[in-house]
Amino acid sequence: MEVGERVKVFTVGSIAWLGSFLLALQLGAVDHLELEFMAQIRLPRVLTASVVGMGLSVSGAVLQALFVNPLCEPYTLGISSGAALGAVIGASYGLHWMFAGLAGTAFLGAAVFAAILYLVSLRPQSKNVTLLLMGVMLSFLGSSLMALWMTLTDSNGLQGLIHWLFGDLSRARLKGAVISGGFIFLLTLSLWRNWRELDALLLGEEGAETLGVDVSRVRRKLILITSFMIGICVSSAGMIGFVGLVVPHFARKLIGSLHLRLIPLCALGGAITLTLADCFSRVLIRPYELPIGVVTALIGSPLFVWIMWVRKETV
Amino acid sequence: MDHVGSKGNGLNHPLVLGAYGISFAWSSYALGDALSLEEVSLELSRGEMVGLLGPNGSGKSTLMKILAGILSLKRPGASGQVRYLGQNFLSMPWSHRARHVVYVPPDFRLEFPLSAEEVVLLGRTCQGGGFLRWRSPEDQKKVEWAMKLCLCWDFRKRRIDCLSDGQRQLVSLARALAQGGRVLLLDETLSRMDLSHQAAIARMLKSLIQEGWSILLVSHDVNLVARWADRVIFLKNGKQLFQGTVREAFTSENLKVLYPQTDLFLGSNPMTGAPQVFFNGETTR
Repeated sequence: MEVGERVKVFTVGSIAWLGSFLLALQLGAVDHLELEFMAQIRLPRVLTASVVGMGLSVSGAVLQALFVNPLCEPYTLGISSGAALGAVIGASYGLHWMFAGLAGTAFLGAAVFAAILYLVSLRPQSKNVTLLLMGVMLSFLGSSLMALWMTLTDSNGLQGLIHWLFGDLSRARLKGAVISGGFIFLLTLSLWRNWRELDALLLGEEGAETLGVDVSRVRRKLILITSFMIGICVSSAGMIGFVGLVVPHFARKLIGSLHLRLIPLCALGGAITLTLADCFSRVLIRPYELPIGVVTALIGSPLFVWIMWVRKETV
Repeated sequence: MDHVGSKGNGLNHPLVLGAYGISFAWSSYALGDALSLEEVSLELSRGEMVGLLGPNGSGKSTLMKILAGILSLKRPGASGQVRYLGQNFLSMPWSHRARHVVYVPPDFRLEFPLSAEEVVLLGRTCQGGGFLRWRSPEDQKKVEWAMKLCLCWDFRKRRIDCLSDGQRQLVSLARALAQGGRVLLLDETLSRMDLSHQAAIARMLKSLIQEGWSILLVSHDVNLVARWADRVIFLKNGKQLFQGTVREAFTSENLKVLYPQTDLFLGSNPMTGAPQVFFNGETTR
């Protein structure tokens, strides 16, 4: 792809993001534009949708490179599940002081699950499939532990978390949205800085080592950053699958696999996808609201299957 | 320069890479213990091509990966040292190692689509660069030079997964040349190329040798090694059987030990005069 085309992709992407942002801001809004409502309820919500989408799809792209497997993402690897478990446990102890949601304990949960995955990937006999199986197991483990914890503690307020688990943006407040947005932005930048190492990992672990990359150090560092980012995403918006898988996939089709361009495009694409998904979640069954995770999966999965079918490609 | 146990090779060229007393054992619950290298030593000098021959499972690739620093010797059952220009090679940083000694695997597989040119450009990873600088003019020049040398410039825009095995090996070799090191460890790199490509690449490698590069070549094609290598090392069951010049090494006795139960005849190539191994595919008892 030539330089001009790339510029075009990014320009169109930016405009699309801005458009979806504005659409989401005013969609289903009040008759007379109440500035206060917009500033306190709507703006934080749309902002959160954008940054969480960005965070999830960038971590998806990074995890796919780190584990050299296009099926990896926070959700399929169970890291989201770990983050949610951490958040639930934190909430039951009344740790509501942390910003948007419960990033502190969510990060711990994500980091523990990611560390397990990392240890599995270190074993010489583990293949890509092992890792994915492990992720699915961790995901089950996380949700059952969560259910167990909720049943055992049964403290007030935890039942309301069920809605949050499927992705819930309605809790977003301005301060939390700005703080988590800032963090996600910085973490995305720090992941982006490692594009050279991520590119090298496209040749596989041994290939990257041949190119002079200290794979285990890079993995440790990037897994830590991604876990933190997933922790923030999950604590501010709940568990949202799919974005981390589909957005990097299409971004690669558009602009190629090299991370210098892929990461920013994933950031844009993720932001657009989740902002639009938020619009759908608000209008599909008005006056009720669908959890946003339900929307991404309901629209995303058939779309993905259809495109795979039509293009006769393998994932 | 610090030569540990240097035997010299008769060419009087400075020693570049040396491995001394390398032992290595694979051990895992699933696979059990398997000793794959036992006290192997070898030296590679500037301006020479050394062939590494041995039957399957004799530890050739393991040795290559240890030399390149990809397999760590810091594990139970492993010992020995690797020296590059007299210094402890394995304690150098990864990127520094990759800038000097380049390992070329027999094949590579990509999970994500990349073009041939992008793969070669990945070879420049170890050279570092600025945050937003994808390729410097120097990178560009090196990539073009390497791809032209390895006869893959014409299909540089094609996707790697659409290329044949032989073409992928050309790209892999170009990637190694672009990396900037002048010591190449080639693991079956020429095995899937057709005759004319094999000859062209071998000639190209020979011209690099004359410019002072050093190459360690692993191949199952004994005649390829006999034709192009200056020295050979025979490896069997993780032990070093013999090392010396091609003419010293290629004797019926050595070959029978190396490839037992194979009906071999040792002659010479009528065109080049190099030793040539003929075999009829029958097994002997």
